Amino acid sequence: MDASQKNKMGRRDFMKAVIAGISGVIGAAIGLPAIAYVVGPALTKATDTWIRLGAVNKVELGNPTLFKTIIETQTGWINAEEEFSAYVLTENGQDFVAISNVCTHLGCRVRWIPDEEGFYCPCHNGVFAKDGTVISGPPPRPLDRFESKVEDGVLFVKRG
Amino acid sequence: MAKLAEWLDERFAWRTVWDAIFLRKIPHVNWLYTLGSATLFVAVTQAVTGILLTIYYVPTPDHAYDSVMYITTQLPAGWFIRGLHHWGASAMVILTVLHLLRVFFYGAYKYPREATWITGVLLLLVVSGFGFTGYLVTWDQKADWATTVGTQIAGVAPLVGEWILRIARGGENQSAVTLARFFGTHIWILPAALATLLLTHLYLVIRIGISAVPSRKEE
Repeated sequence: MDASQKNKMGRRDFMKAVIAGISGVIGAAIGLPAIAYVVGPALTKATDTWIRLGAVNKVELGNPTLFKTIIETQTGWINAEEEFSAYVLTENGQDFVAISNVCTHLGCRVRWIPDEEGFYCPCHNGVFAKDGTVISGPPPRPLDRFESKVEDGVLFVKRG
Repeated sequence: MAKLAEWLDERFAWRTVWDAIFLRKIPHVNWLYTLGSATLFVAVTQAVTGILLTIYYVPTPDHAYDSVMYITTQLPAGWFIRGLHHWGASAMVILTVLHLLRVFFYGAYKYPREATWITGVLLLLVVSGFGFTGYLVTWDQKADWATTVGTQIAGVAPLVGEWILRIARGGENQSAVTLARFFGTHIWILPAALATLLLTHLYLVIRIGISAVPSRKEE
């Protein structure tokens, strides 16, 4: 075999290359859509909605007050009703702070204990102060706050 | 890379396996001999797209159709994955039958390939089973009535008909039980049967080899 023949692609190698190429195209044609299909729902962001919590005059002065409401959600093909709750705090009856009751550690629901002056998480003993700052336990950051607004004496919070 | 291939070959002897599968001697044949491979290719596609569909599909009467619509209209490429599975199902039946016809008219089922033929015929039954059970799972009007009619046909068989109909439907009428058992059959029982028969079929094709195109002349 001389040098020129050595560099030439043989029939078998040509077929190998063609088969590998076609297989690659077919694999990509199914594989890439498959990836989009599987991760798709994970990438959709929830749209911001204003949730009606209730009348502001129900908020006790200086005492975090729990508001509960039912919101309609759509996940996948299921339309469901979900309970939404948040603590609302006011020190002067004018400015309201809406605090999430979801523990920042691992997502359990915290509860305000008036006698202890703190939000207590039942899961891993996280304790938060009235304004949501961490007092003790594993939570890495203060309780989340919602953007809120008052319209005609009714309190709304924004959920994103 | 070459070193890794060497290391693996020393332990798995994969080159021997590879050669047995892809470098086996075959007679000079024509394009009709690709029908079996084409069927195998579609079967693999059906398995892949079918597995992907189960990520979202739910087999209950209150949500089956909604989940199918969610796949088709809401998910990225959902229409594509479902479309492949839908059209692949028809292709599967057509290719299996064409493959069978080729083997039949070339007399390729004769000694020593009887077992290959028998597993092939059983595979055709499995493919029909896939088609029948898969048709119901979209749970739309067409699916509902097709299965009502299909199971009713089984019901007219003498003596055992009534019994077969009740087993197929999981009761007197078509219900949530029917949908669940059709789905379970479609994704567990039939794939297991298909895999077993297919591997046997392929093993026999490789072990015995394929037949030559029949000719008038004595060789």
